Parts: sequence; C-alpha cells; structure tokens
Amino acid sequence: MSVDTAIAKNMSEPKRLQNLSEDELSLELVSAGVSAILFIEILRRYQQQIYYHCRNLLLSHDDADDAAQNTFIKVWQNLHQFKGESRLRTWVYRIATNESINLIRKRKPTIDFDEAQPEMAEMMSEDLYLSGDEIALKLQKALCYLPFKQKLVFTLRYFEDLTYEEIAVLTSTSEGALKASYHHAVKKLEIYLSVLR
Amino acid sequence: MDLENEKIGPAYIAPDTYFKESESRLLHRLGIDVNSPEATVPNIEVIKPEVVLMKVDTSGIQKRARKQDPLTSKSVGVYKELDAVGKVEIAPLTFTTNENPEWVNFSAISEETSGLVESLNITKVTYGDLLNPLDETMAKESAESETSISEPMVAESVELESIEVESAEIETLETFEVTGSAIEEVTAEEILVEAETLETLEEAVLEPIIEQNLESTESIIIHEVPESVGLDELESYIAPINATKAPIIEEVLAQEEYQAINLEAPPTAFAPIAGRQKESATPGWLGIAASFAAIVAAYFIWNAIQPPKTEEAMATELQQDEPTLIESPLDEPVLFKDTIPDGLQLVEPLINGEMPNYKEPNVYTIIDAKEMPPLTKRALQDLEDNGLTTFDMEDEMFEELDFESL
Repeated sequence: MSVDTAIAKNMSEPKRLQNLSEDELSLELVSAGVSAILFIEILRRYQQQIYYHCRNLLLSHDDADDAAQNTFIKVWQNLHQFKGESRLRTWVYRIATNESINLIRKRKPTIDFDEAQPEMAEMMSEDLYLSGDEIALKLQKALCYLPFKQKLVFTLRYFEDLTYEEIAVLTSTSEGALKASYHHAVKKLEIYLSVLR
Repeated sequence: MDLENEKIGPAYIAPDTYFKESESRLLHRLGIDVNSPEATVPNIEVIKPEVVLMKVDTSGIQKRARKQDPLTSKSVGVYKELDAVGKVEIAPLTFTTNENPEWVNFSAISEETSGLVESLNITKVTYGDLLNPLDETMAKESAESETSISEPMVAESVELESIEVESAEIETLETFEVTGSAIEEVTAEEILVEAETLETLEEAVLEPIIEQNLESTESIIIHEVPESVGLDELESYIAPINATKAPIIEEVLAQEEYQAINLEAPPTAFAPIAGRQKESATPGWLGIAASFAAIVAAYFIWNAIQPPKTEEAMATELQQDEPTLIESPLDEPVLFKDTIPDGLQLVEPLINGEMPNYKEPNVYTIIDAKEMPPLTKRALQDLEDNGLTTFDMEDEMFEELDFESL
C-alpha cells in the first residue's frame, strides 16, 4: 500500500464510520478492535446524549461535565472489553449512569436512592445552559420530588427515548417493573406540576 | 397536564462550542491526537506488583506501642523508616494495647525471629557488646552469618582464570563450604589445585564474595533501643553491618573514663527526692466543705465584732435608702385594659362564667309529690322552713297549702 493510499484511507475512515449505524459500529468495534478513530466516532455520536443524561440526573452543569468526562475516559479504557452482547448505546449509558450515581454518592454519602431529594431543585435556579423554557424547568424541579430510580426511568424513557428493553438492560430490571415505575412517575409528576403552577 | 401526550422539551441546551471544547479536552487528557488518531494505542493500565525485597515475618513478635514520644512529641508512621531500608512487606501488626499504636519497640524482637531466613535480617547488639571492641573474628562470624542468608553462590561465578594452574590433570575439587552454605561441587577440567593453592583460592575469592553479598542484602544492625525512643530516632540506632565502628562507642568509652564517683555534697542544698508521694485518702469534697464553712464562720464573726450603730447613723442610713414607692410618671396616659365597666368588675368572673366554686341554688323541682311518703314530705318541709332548701313554687306539694289561711 502506497503512502498516498494510506493517507486517503485515513482521511476517508472517519466519514465511513459516520455513516455506519449503531449495530454496524458495534460490529466494527468487535471485529476490527479498538482504535482511536472508532473511539472518536463513539465520542462524537454519544457525547451530547451522555451530557444531557448526566445533567438530568445531576442538575448541575459542573457535575454533569465531570460525569461525562469520566464516562468517556472509562469507555476508552474498557472499549476492548465490549463484546457486542448489548447495544453500544446501552453500554455507554450504563457507564454514564454509574458515574452519575458515584458522583451523587461522593457529594452526599448518606443519600437514600429510594427517597426523593427535593433540595436538589434549588441547585438549578441559576446554572449554565438553561433553555429558558419555564415548563421544562418546572418539570425538572418536579423530577426532584421523585425517588431516584423513578427519576432515572422517566429520564431515560421521556427525554432519551430509550426503549423499555434498553432500560431493562441498563438498570437490570424487568420490563414490567419499569413500565409500572414509569407510570407512577408520570402520575406523580402531573400532580407536582399542577401544584407547582 | 398530560405528560404522556404533551411532550415537554429539554430544560438544558448547551452550545456546540461547549461540546467541541469538551471533546478536545477529553482527547487531550487521553493523549489522543485528532490529526493522527491511528498512531494512538489504547492506554490500558496494568497494575504491576511492587517488587518486595524481603518479607518481614512479624508473627510471634511481642510488640509494644507508645502513644507519643515524651521527648520529641512526634508521631511517625511505621512504614516510614522501613521504606528507607528498602521495599519491605510487613505483615499486619497486632498490638496488645488500647493505646494508639504509633510506636513500636524493636528491641522486643526476639533473636529467634530475627534470625529466620525468610525474615529481614535484624541483629541485636547489646550495650555490652558495644563496649567490647569488635575483633576481626567477630566481624568474620557476622559476615558468615550474613552470607548464609543470601543466595548460595555457585562456584561457576568465581573467576578461576586469574589463578595460576600448574598442571592439567583432571581432578575433582573438594567441596568447600562458604560460611555454612554449601557450594556445589565444581569439576574443573585440566586444573590441579594443590592444598596451598586451595587456601589461597579461599582467601582470594571469599572476601570479595562476602563484600558483594553484604552490599546486595540490606543487612542492618539495630542496636538495643530504649523503650522511649520513637521511630523518628530509630535511624540513629540502625547501622549497616559492614559499617565501621560507630563513633558513639568511643564517646561512651571516653565518658566512662572521665566519670568518677563524687562523694562530696553538692554546692547548693537540694532537697532530697522523697520518692513518690502516696495519694491522700481524704476525699476532695471535704476540703471544699471546710473552706466554705470557714467563710461562713468568718462572716458571722465579723458581724459580731462590729460596734453597734448609733441612732444618728441609723437615721442617716434610713434617709439614704431609696424610696420603696416609685413615683409613676403623671404624663403617662392611662390605658383602659378591661372592656367591662368599673362597677361591674367585681362580678366580672360571674359574667365570664369563671367562678369555679359557684353553685346553683338548691332549688329542686318535685313533679309528683303525691306519691311521696308523708314522712319525706315532712322532712322536706322542715328543710324549707329552716332555709336549707327551696322548693319550686310550682310544685304540687305546695298547692295543698292554703296561703291565705296562714
């Protein structure tokens, strides 16, 4: 292979990866092995989703930024362990969720994830990158009145559009329990939103 | 609001510049060059086990702990000094004390334990040994004991080429021991070593071997350490085994020579040390009570011995007293706090129904007096006549009475 051919291949490789679907990208990762080009493609594909996911869970921009950075560092370090048994997006989301939980535990070691954390609603009044949509802001505040597990399920389903199957893999929970949890979360949020108005 | 049907947008919108900045920051942290990512290899961290020079077997060692050094008041971790010796793995220490185990008495390490092959070679040297000058024999014995711990040396590593050889007959060399550790038999072809040559060989070869071994193994001598010495001072008690005689020995010897017993009294009179005083059996509260009683007694005595006051003095004192009646300011407006008029304030409790002892008058209503026995009627009449009770005038009992006839 001549040098020009190699350079041309390197130049066209990112574009080729961009056009791959998620399943094709996972297959490429398993078959061709870990490479920096693949990692950059994964980073660019999921960076925004992971940031918003962490932001929904952590509310603070700084915390979400830290969690997202740590997530992709772990993705890079453990990419060779990805066997393609689950979807790539689910795998990355799981790492991000764990990082967010770790960060919450670090901030508040005595936290009980079965209980709501309404004090977190005060953190988001003046923070970076708020959309300015009042209803969206109220919904985020209302989310603070949910237990963390319900909040996680609602966030993944409502904002991230993950399927129940993906969320079940991500949270190691049955789909039936997830549907019930999501239903309870929606009903509670509707009540909270009516009160918060 | 119907969340299922109404889709609410995200509350956060981060600009693209943030994500680009975040991406470049992350790639920089991971050491990935965006321009040539092919050259980047995943940085998989492999934890290498630390090389352990020797293991210190602390089982069976009696340890003592001190909370604080009484002289320096310093506290140093256990690993600090040992790290200076080398990479040493220390088994978990077990202390039989409730105090904070910050100080370890190394002099309590038994010789049996310190002499184990797999443990760090710690040789105890007593103070008496320090006073006696070390002769060459002792040094050689200690060197031999040190060599026995190290790995057995193979004679092949000995450079035999520098030794002069007279003939070329094939003969097996005698096995010679180097300080207790057996050295393998060496078959030297075409070499004949006579007895004298063999002695020369031992002297010429063994000494460099011993020196090398002493340098390679972290052999140390820990002099007998007083119990009050902490780890920060322990360094001064540790010396390499092949080090020259410590200067402290000469100083100690010189001091002992100079010291002569002085039987004369000291120039100034010092009170003799009486030894430790026993604690008093008197409880502490008794002293407090006694002092309080003394104060009270002094007060009464002081009052008793005062001369009686004269009438003038008493009058003056009374005049100086502050008036008990405090004049109320006249310009202060009077506020009426009660809504009930003044004339009715006496019956205010009645009005408010706040008289707990108030009882309704004994007025009884007897509906059917006809059925009442005559004795009861008579008794009731007596009660009313004497003013003890009042019957309702509507009662039928009184209808029989003819008031006009009265």
